[in-house]
Amino acid sequence: MSETNNGVMQEKNMRAVAVRQKIGKYTVKFFLYAFLLTMALIVLFPFYWMIISSLKTLAEYRLSVPTFWPKTIMLSNYAEAFTAANLGRLFMNTLYVGVVSTLLSLVITVLSAFAFARLEFKGRETVFALLLATMMIPGELFTITNYSTITHLGWMNTFTVLIVPFLVSVFYIFLLRQNFMQIPNELYLAAKVDGTSDLKYLWKVMVPLSMPTLISITILKMMGAWNSYIWPRLVANDAAHQMITNGLRNAFTETTGDVNYPVQMAAVSIVSAPLFLVFVFLRKYIMAGVSRSGIKG
Amino acid sequence: MVDSKQQWKAWLYLAPAIVLLLVFTVWPIINTIRMAFLEGYRGLEAVGGVSYSFGFGNFTKVIHYHKFINCLKTTILLCVLTVPISTFLALLIAVALNNIKFLQKGLQTIFFLPYVTNSIAIGMVFAAMFNIVGSFYGTENELIATAGIINNIIEFFGGKPVNWINYGSSYTANIVVMTVYIVWNALPFKILILLGGLQSINTQYYDAAKIDGTPRRRVFSRITVPLLSPMLAYVIITGFISGFKEYSSIVGIFGEGMGPADDPGRLNTMVGFIYDALSTNSQGRASAAALILFGIILVVTLINTQVGKKRIHY
Amino acid sequence: MKKKLLSIVLALLIVLSTVALTACGGQQTAPEEGSAPESSSSDAPSNGGAASNFEVPEGGYDGSDVTITFYHTMGENLSTVLDQYIVEFNKLYPNIHVKHENMGGYDDVREQISTEITVGNQPNIAYCYPDHVALYNLAKAVVQLDNLIDSQIEVKRADGTTEILGLTDEQKSDFIEGYYDEGRQFGDGLMYTLPMSKSTEVLYYDKTFFDENGLTVPATWEEMEALCAKIKEIDPESCPLGYDSEANWFITMCEQYQSPYTSATGDHYIFNNDQNKEFVKMFNSWYQKGYLTTQKIYGGYTSGLFTAEDSMRSYMSIGSSAGANHQLPQTDADGNYRFEVGIATIPQVSDSNKKVISQGPSLCIFKDTNPQEVLASWLFVKFLTTNVDFQSEFAMASGYVPVLKSVSDNAAYAEFLANADGGKYIAALSAKVCLDQVDAYYTSPAFNGSSTARDQVGGLMVKALTAKGDDLDAQIDKAFQEAIDECEYAN
Repeated sequence: MSETNNGVMQEKNMRAVAVRQKIGKYTVKFFLYAFLLTMALIVLFPFYWMIISSLKTLAEYRLSVPTFWPKTIMLSNYAEAFTAANLGRLFMNTLYVGVVSTLLSLVITVLSAFAFARLEFKGRETVFALLLATMMIPGELFTITNYSTITHLGWMNTFTVLIVPFLVSVFYIFLLRQNFMQIPNELYLAAKVDGTSDLKYLWKVMVPLSMPTLISITILKMMGAWNSYIWPRLVANDAAHQMITNGLRNAFTETTGDVNYPVQMAAVSIVSAPLFLVFVFLRKYIMAGVSRSGIKG
Repeated sequence: MVDSKQQWKAWLYLAPAIVLLLVFTVWPIINTIRMAFLEGYRGLEAVGGVSYSFGFGNFTKVIHYHKFINCLKTTILLCVLTVPISTFLALLIAVALNNIKFLQKGLQTIFFLPYVTNSIAIGMVFAAMFNIVGSFYGTENELIATAGIINNIIEFFGGKPVNWINYGSSYTANIVVMTVYIVWNALPFKILILLGGLQSINTQYYDAAKIDGTPRRRVFSRITVPLLSPMLAYVIITGFISGFKEYSSIVGIFGEGMGPADDPGRLNTMVGFIYDALSTNSQGRASAAALILFGIILVVTLINTQVGKKRIHY
Repeated sequence: MKKKLLSIVLALLIVLSTVALTACGGQQTAPEEGSAPESSSSDAPSNGGAASNFEVPEGGYDGSDVTITFYHTMGENLSTVLDQYIVEFNKLYPNIHVKHENMGGYDDVREQISTEITVGNQPNIAYCYPDHVALYNLAKAVVQLDNLIDSQIEVKRADGTTEILGLTDEQKSDFIEGYYDEGRQFGDGLMYTLPMSKSTEVLYYDKTFFDENGLTVPATWEEMEALCAKIKEIDPESCPLGYDSEANWFITMCEQYQSPYTSATGDHYIFNNDQNKEFVKMFNSWYQKGYLTTQKIYGGYTSGLFTAEDSMRSYMSIGSSAGANHQLPQTDADGNYRFEVGIATIPQVSDSNKKVISQGPSLCIFKDTNPQEVLASWLFVKFLTTNVDFQSEFAMASGYVPVLKSVSDNAAYAEFLANADGGKYIAALSAKVCLDQVDAYYTSPAFNGSSTARDQVGGLMVKALTAKGDDLDAQIDKAFQEAIDECEYAN
């Protein structure tokens, strides 16, 4: 802003600026909302499709010209989904695997990310680069070798085999490392001077500051358990350990190998509901994250 | 100087991750390398007692595939198109979400919904949106029963319907559909990550900017982007890595044929090639292709980190 | 960082690969990979030619306690039928415990088993398509059934009766030949599978429309062409015929013209010949005249076109006999179908060489260290495929057709067939038509890569149908050559 004007001009100017800023603020807000709402609609579409598909008859589902609203609403698909698959058992299995693997995975991820972000050690960059490199080979090729490994370990049809092999995700270590690096190093050095131990610092400072990311990882990991299909089918497909996606897929296939999609969609909607609720509950924490925690950089 | 105590402590912290990775990732990679260098290796035949000689045959076979260049081209094209677009859009949405109060909760929930949406549903939607159902394309008897919602919209605004994915569609149209689909698929994850990153930015920076009366655009480019740069780097690097492994999204739209009906395989990618090889149990060839792909991704990641070194502010 | 990264990764790759190669490549038989000795030992004595035939132990099944596993794709309702008959089976053989699992689709079964074979974990019995068996046999994992079929050893059953281990002559001749012969299409003349339940292709037509316009159902492709022209005159907006599977169409035409498609031995891919180009060109002219469409060209199931209510619709549809229910139009408010569906056999090239495809799952048995498990599996497979009551009930529940001729004499099944109509009981009508064409069934040779050939000729058909312009012949030649190239490459 110019500084050479006299007092009157300055005041006038400032009022004009204030008005302009206000108008600008509202237009910005307007575009913000318009943009967000449009994107929300686009993102929402598949969800809408999932729900209407779950209400269609199989014949309507197979129509070559798809309908955007079911002609006859088949609530019976939901009843069928409930009875066809042993949902309770599948649900408990998946929940168990999801919770245990998420917890363990969080511990491993936090420790490794901390080492990569804050601890100085020889070969840090190299090890990290190697870790990144492992992400670059398509995992489909690992299946047969891993299958043979777990057979030798005697892990077939156990919960262990569903939890342990995928505990480490380089994706998440990388993600959390990046987040840790956002946190100013001065905090760490100050803590060192105070004689705070690394673990205590990690637990008291780094973890609370990275809550949003940790929750993101939790959600992704839980969704992973929910959606995992190929590996569980291969290694633990017995009734005692079967996971939700496998149970659902198998329950609604016909001899032709065709899937009764509407019923399957109904089942998917049923099992998605708890996840959705969990998110609605967690969302508070994602947003609360930093501003509440007392420590500021 | 790095003291030795911190040395072993670091390794201790890393130990659980490294042990698990050695068993379930590094060992399979070693096995992949072995298979790649055994000429014409097939896992099932090996069980049946066939033995293989060492050589580079698998690699030459992959490179000599007449559509190899095509697979590579599609892979790279999709990557180069989708990563910047999806990152940019996700950044805009995340920042916008972070800047509003009214409806914020509701909108966040909506942007999360794709996570609880079944992937089959997502594939179905897209097929339905772009599909043209009709017959005799290109003949005088041409009939079209439906042109999908996208074409309905185009017609509503007075445009001519486009043949997106069916018989006779152009490569450009195919790539446009794939770009939209992949961006769409990638958005929720990126929004979640970037929003998490934004939440981690200390509000003091913004408070200071407010007091100084810094304009929005400047706040965005001078505070938000630099402070978010580690997360942006993450989103971009992993975006490229998974972009090079694109496969299932193409199956979602075009089916196993990986292309429109009159030109199957037109949109085949490197991982698609690997799947094809695996389906006839040609693991040697699949492994060789995977190593070639690995080489390409490695180079791209190196470039990414090099560029990043200068731009990321930790 | 990047330089270090690159050099280290590369160095590591080289080191790893040399280590891996010296460790495993040198001694060749890849102990790391399979290293389950139990699997290789079962195959070990069986290496080389006819010796790999299953040696039936002298006493046959000795009544020992075994658990056998069975992978299939049956949904809830079919599993229920299966469970019922496992109870029946256990009345005869109480010590054979059958565990069965629904693995999802056919591809899922194939993926699962081909992974399991690498460590010797495979099930005892599986639903299979011929190309799956060819894949499993890369590891020589499937039991050859000839010795079992021919075995005259007597087996005691729990109810005090006995049966011979093999198939009796009556049992053998009760199988519909086309289905039974499918077990021998692997190029070595040996039997690997028994048929479980089958389907074929049939011609669905709009009977109401045909009756109104005095049209007759075409028996040959020649008649089909004339009929399409006539329908096009009556309803120019329509597309008279929809053919669901391009691949089936191509392969069936090869059979009907007796021209080469594939071979299980020697040069596998032999479909690039003049005869095949000729029929493809003929159908190309039909397409250009607006007579027909296929699933891929249409962009949806052709049953959708057949049952459509718009002006753009078809009056005939060739599709799987097991999908009859999908060919039914919607009902109106009174619950009446908009038109009556008629079902007929598909058109032929000539009356003297009728051919129609045979599809659907067969059963195969996997090798095992314990010969008693193989015998028990065989007894169960034999029970499922030769038990008339089971075959009848399974066929009614699945929409597939039974593999035994005598099922049509079964009271329940006869009643099912008697109800056949072009509306609610369309599945029965479809089954009836299938039974009319039992002599025409063919199956294609199976080898590792036969499914690639199928995919390729499907794509070739689409390309060739839609090709147009002055260089039509050149385009068709190119389409054939490309399909051959892809097939050759995949192998």
